[in-house]
Amino acid sequence: MLLILRLWNYIVGYLVIRVDGLSLEKFINLTISNGIFLWGIKRSGYTTMTACISISGFRKLKGIVRKVRCRVRIVDKRGLPFLLVRLRHRKMLLVGLTAFLIILYGLSSFIWTVDVEGNVEVPEDKLLNALAKYGIRPGAFKKGLDISAIENRLVIDIPDIWWVSIQLKGTRAIVKVVEAAQPPPMVDKDTPCNIVASKDGIIHEMVVLEGQPMVKEGDTVKKGQLLVSGVVEDPETLATRFVHAMAQVTARTWYEGQAVCSLEEGLTRRTGRKVVHKFIDMGQWVVEYQKKEIPFKHYEVEEKKVPFFGEGRFFPVTMIVREYYEVEKLPANATLQDLKEIAQKKAMEDVNKKIPSNAKVVDKQVKYDMIEGKEIKATVYVEVLEDIAQEQKITVK
Amino acid sequence: MRRRKLQEVKTTVSEMFELPKDIMLNLPRISMIGNNQMLVENHRGVIEYTPQKIRLNSTIGVIRVEGQDMNLKNIAADDVMITGVIKLVEF
Repeated sequence: MLLILRLWNYIVGYLVIRVDGLSLEKFINLTISNGIFLWGIKRSGYTTMTACISISGFRKLKGIVRKVRCRVRIVDKRGLPFLLVRLRHRKMLLVGLTAFLIILYGLSSFIWTVDVEGNVEVPEDKLLNALAKYGIRPGAFKKGLDISAIENRLVIDIPDIWWVSIQLKGTRAIVKVVEAAQPPPMVDKDTPCNIVASKDGIIHEMVVLEGQPMVKEGDTVKKGQLLVSGVVEDPETLATRFVHAMAQVTARTWYEGQAVCSLEEGLTRRTGRKVVHKFIDMGQWVVEYQKKEIPFKHYEVEEKKVPFFGEGRFFPVTMIVREYYEVEKLPANATLQDLKEIAQKKAMEDVNKKIPSNAKVVDKQVKYDMIEGKEIKATVYVEVLEDIAQEQKITVK
Repeated sequence: MRRRKLQEVKTTVSEMFELPKDIMLNLPRISMIGNNQMLVENHRGVIEYTPQKIRLNSTIGVIRVEGQDMNLKNIAADDVMITGVIKLVEF
């Protein structure tokens, strides 16, 4: 409520007045009994006070001023009308403002980026080309695009997608794609096969669907070892059957990651302070528009390129952000622990690359070695649970 | 004499029907938020205003407010909003 009132006052414009007189209370009472609204009354001294009043209210003050015998002065004029009066003398500013708004409006009625989401098999280029054919490309005018027709056309043109949704959000076209589900590969049950281990490990859980299990839970297996045989012998008739063995074999496996951190390299650490330099790269010209001096003694540099809209296709303009991070030399007593941490982090990164995504991490161990007093080697052993079942055809003689 | 009787009747009626007394009996309605905002509705004018002391007239007599750096944030024909550090309200 009050905010609306304040906004209204700003739009209509109001005055800040200073009232000098002996009976200021009488002045207040008379104004409000005349229906003039006052706000923000502040008494600054015995005979003076400041208050805010609307422009129309101020005109009505004359009679009251005479009655109370006080003096009213305008201290400040606030609000939109006064701002506009001031603007009247600065025509170019207005021209610039309107030009800005027109350009903003104009540029926002184009598509500047096309984002494709949801495609896995269908290459993005193919989608983008198809979209461009029907007018959805960076630089295209937004109006007059028949989105639903384009969606239908795309589904017809690219048989690998089942459903497309195109959304225009500002200058961005978001294209969501659902690809046609590929049928799962047929399990050829007629070809007999064995299940062998794809890795070394200890069997944690076995679910055998078809075939003769050759190992049991808790067994240690080597890579290539037979886990489930496709050769099944009937205990009664002793007849051999060849089946397509199917099983899910979860095993504990180990991964190892290593990283070396030399004392000299690891002795520095970022302090968190940084200085950023920004350049605008326009092909031939490089404009530095933010360049400060680097107040650090030791620092590291990181450079990033941020393309402007259209990914540099329309405007060959990129912004280069160069970040200077201050680094500090670690004190000697803290180094070993910190070095270990750094080495361990690196080793973890190393090992994470090796672990397949469907594996579950069970345990983790870290070992540190000093090498000639110069380097620290961290070795991370990670124990995971993963499926090691691998089919192998049986060649029947 | 008659007037007092009328007042009594009004009080009992307003209590009987649970009508808001400030409207029935023409009393000031004062609401405060913490000790830094005070809204007095249905007042009868400002008698005294300094940053340390405000006296307002009302149907039940003078309401005295003391505090520090008090401003009259809004003032209209029948309500006053006082802001600042309010220390004392007296009737």
